[in-house]
Amino acid sequence: MYNGLSLDQAPPISVVMRFFLMVPLFGIALSLLVFLNPEAVLTPNHPISLTAIHLMFLGIISMSMLGALFQMQSVLGGRPIQEPLGNAFIIHIFFVIGILSLAEAFITPLPELFVIASVFLGASVLYTANLILPLLFGSITNDTLRGMRIALVSLSVTAILGVIMASEYANESFSTFHEVIRISHYSLGLIGWVAILIIAVAFQVVEMFYVTTPYSLWCKRNAFRVIVGSLFFKIIWLFLSLPFVWIFDLMIGALLFGFIATTLKRLHQRKRRVRDVSIWFWNAGIALLSIATISYAIFIGSANESLQTMALISFAFFALAIILAMMGKIVPFLVWFHLNSAGYMDVPIMSNIIPLHRVKWLFWLFALTLVMALGGIFFIPLFAVSAILGGLMFSLLLFNLVQALRMYRYVRIHGKRLIQG
Amino acid sequence: MILLDTRELDHPIPLEMAVDAFKKLTGDEVIHMIHRREPIPLFEIILKNGGHYNSVMERDDLWHIYITRSPEVKLEHIHV
Repeated sequence: MYNGLSLDQAPPISVVMRFFLMVPLFGIALSLLVFLNPEAVLTPNHPISLTAIHLMFLGIISMSMLGALFQMQSVLGGRPIQEPLGNAFIIHIFFVIGILSLAEAFITPLPELFVIASVFLGASVLYTANLILPLLFGSITNDTLRGMRIALVSLSVTAILGVIMASEYANESFSTFHEVIRISHYSLGLIGWVAILIIAVAFQVVEMFYVTTPYSLWCKRNAFRVIVGSLFFKIIWLFLSLPFVWIFDLMIGALLFGFIATTLKRLHQRKRRVRDVSIWFWNAGIALLSIATISYAIFIGSANESLQTMALISFAFFALAIILAMMGKIVPFLVWFHLNSAGYMDVPIMSNIIPLHRVKWLFWLFALTLVMALGGIFFIPLFAVSAILGGLMFSLLLFNLVQALRMYRYVRIHGKRLIQG
Repeated sequence: MILLDTRELDHPIPLEMAVDAFKKLTGDEVIHMIHRREPIPLFEIILKNGGHYNSVMERDDLWHIYITRSPEVKLEHIHV
């Protein structure tokens, strides 16, 4: 009758929202950092650049992905997370303290901050993996769950490599493997964690949200094999100082292009063409993944640092686009679902929880921020402009999330929905 | 029998339609929802609000879900 899943498994709304609410706050902090230091942020390996990268990939991207994992694991994994409130609280607090410490560690002369960041970030990531991974190996399995497992393992190894590097920074003593560890760290973080989780989620939600044909079984089965195999051999090649490491990057690039083509095809062959801004975000995200992949492929051949920067910025915006698309779907759903589950009869409809005009504004601010950020690679003042626009975008995102929670609280307190004047 | 054919509708419209119809159910009325997936979150809402359901898979992408508020109605005996 119920596909082996247990009922009453959705975690309380606060479990997911506590992660989501931090995303715009870190986004505003990042915007401020970029606005004040546009040139330093664009200088590879500059301490301020490293701070900006970690604010983006930990504070914004990983923060939202951890929140989404709490929700998705419960729905897809079939086994609820034990003590979700307490566990989410611990992971969230540790993660936030870790990110703040790391962001400060790069730009202040206090090596102790690297130690604090290592302890809190390492603990939060490994605790998350220890909590969620066993639940993904239940009686139910599908390609999305397989992707989630690989992504969590990649995140754990990324964190361990990060802790090793942080200890090097703290001691100001770098091993001969420092560069190899650094490349492995970002390869696993960007591809093994971010890209794999997004691909795994796409396998589930593109078909479900947009009534498309399902991804082919061949694609689902082999996508993760190709990426995991390429990453594994890339790291082995790096540690053994073997030649032609770039071959594995090209294999990953080819796989990403396969994902781009097959996703675009599905999004453009939708059965129903309803107006949905989340589709705009998905299309933008897929276009950005293409730019990132092409830029990185040319960078491998040319060693032009601007192209590497373009690849990194495009990849970050790709992940952000998908996150914003997903948040626009998940947040109204969570508000609506938890109120209906609690038995309230007069509940706002999902499309009113974050109104269309505000989602459109969010998209256009995202698009303008993106254009200015990419232009800023070649004309730095534009990068500062992108910071202002990014600050506005994250402020609007914060407003949208707070308003959604306000609607939720109103119904919980008054027993009926808030009538907007 | 109230028929809800939501196979061609984007998520989350099918859920909203089913919950709206469920809130309006009276007596022995039964909703017959036809959907391309098993709408798992819907079941939690139904059970927590005093209803019950039966979910029947015809194919991987074709599900029949029967929903009622009446404890007298045996949904296991209904399959159109």
